[in-house]
Amino acid sequence: MAMILEKLPGLTKGLPGGELLLTTSDYFIDLGRRQSMWPMTFGLACCAIEMMASYASRLDFDRMGVIPRASPRQADVMIVAGTVCKKMAEPILEIYHQMPEPRFVISMGSCANCGGPYYDSYSVVKGVDRIVPVDVYIAGCPPRPEALQYAVVKLQEKIAKMSLKKGLATSQQEKGSRDINA
Amino acid sequence: MTQDEFFAKLQAKFPKLEKAAAPVKDYLTVRLSSKDQIEPVAQFLKDSGFDILDMLTATDLLGPVDMKGFIRQQNFNPFLPDGATPEIESAATAGYPYRPAMDLLWSFISVENKLRVIVRLEQPREGTSVPSLVPMFKSADWQERETFDLLGIKFEGHPNLTKILTPDFTVGHPLRKDYVHVKDRFDE
Repeated sequence: MAMILEKLPGLTKGLPGGELLLTTSDYFIDLGRRQSMWPMTFGLACCAIEMMASYASRLDFDRMGVIPRASPRQADVMIVAGTVCKKMAEPILEIYHQMPEPRFVISMGSCANCGGPYYDSYSVVKGVDRIVPVDVYIAGCPPRPEALQYAVVKLQEKIAKMSLKKGLATSQQEKGSRDINA
Repeated sequence: MTQDEFFAKLQAKFPKLEKAAAPVKDYLTVRLSSKDQIEPVAQFLKDSGFDILDMLTATDLLGPVDMKGFIRQQNFNPFLPDGATPEIESAATAGYPYRPAMDLLWSFISVENKLRVIVRLEQPREGTSVPSLVPMFKSADWQERETFDLLGIKFEGHPNLTKILTPDFTVGHPLRKDYVHVKDRFDE
């Protein structure tokens, strides 16, 4: 059934039973989720320039259903594009908590992965995964727009394996974000 | 008006002023002898058409100190053999040997005369305190706060001399050469 839905939607009209389809709810929900991943619009450093290039017409993120939203309440995925300063850590955590579940995080570039060239700095968080759970890491300084789009493809593959029975959150997300005020 | 013409005008008003030994690029660079001079000099510059305070900053001339905190490798020069001591003295700029001093710098621009004047002032490193220029130039406000935040220089008469760049939990002034990082909740 999944194959018919994806590749031959015209066939369904000719099937016995008309337009009624039988499939699993997991499949339908995951299909909807992975084909419309709306990221929160914010950039922290030079990786954001590559992120803007991904949205622009040459590489065209819209064809993958990735449409930037201006509010975290309408967003599904947070692309952390750039250096996370200690002063910026609390706004990032606030944005993460304002996003509806299930929420995903893409860590883009060396700085967001592990601090990158600013590892020894007094003001940089050594990896955004110290404050929020990360689904996909992209290597590079900065990564090319193709790498960001590949990360979205990998995240779509991850969402396709999600199941309502197992719970909405992945094991990483069940750990939750770190309470930095504790 | 050329640089030399303006310097003659400046020296007629303030006879103690002299050109700095090491100019900043090819701009007219003057060195003050005491911190009491900065306010009258800035007022004179403003009256003679220098209407923009372009930059206000300072340098800690202490040089490399005993390395603690974040620096993992003592021998930071990769071209030195293992165990060699970095050549500290020869790395200093000629005429600027490392010493316990704060070198302050103001940069004024005159759009009308197409001139830029750099004013430098050396102060002792501990408890540095200089008059604020906020009453004359509004652009001094945040730059004086930044210099205070990163280097710990106090500006007398500033309306709101508080932290501007570092978060509230950062202890100390990070651009001071003897800064030792105190671990906060983001360091593990």
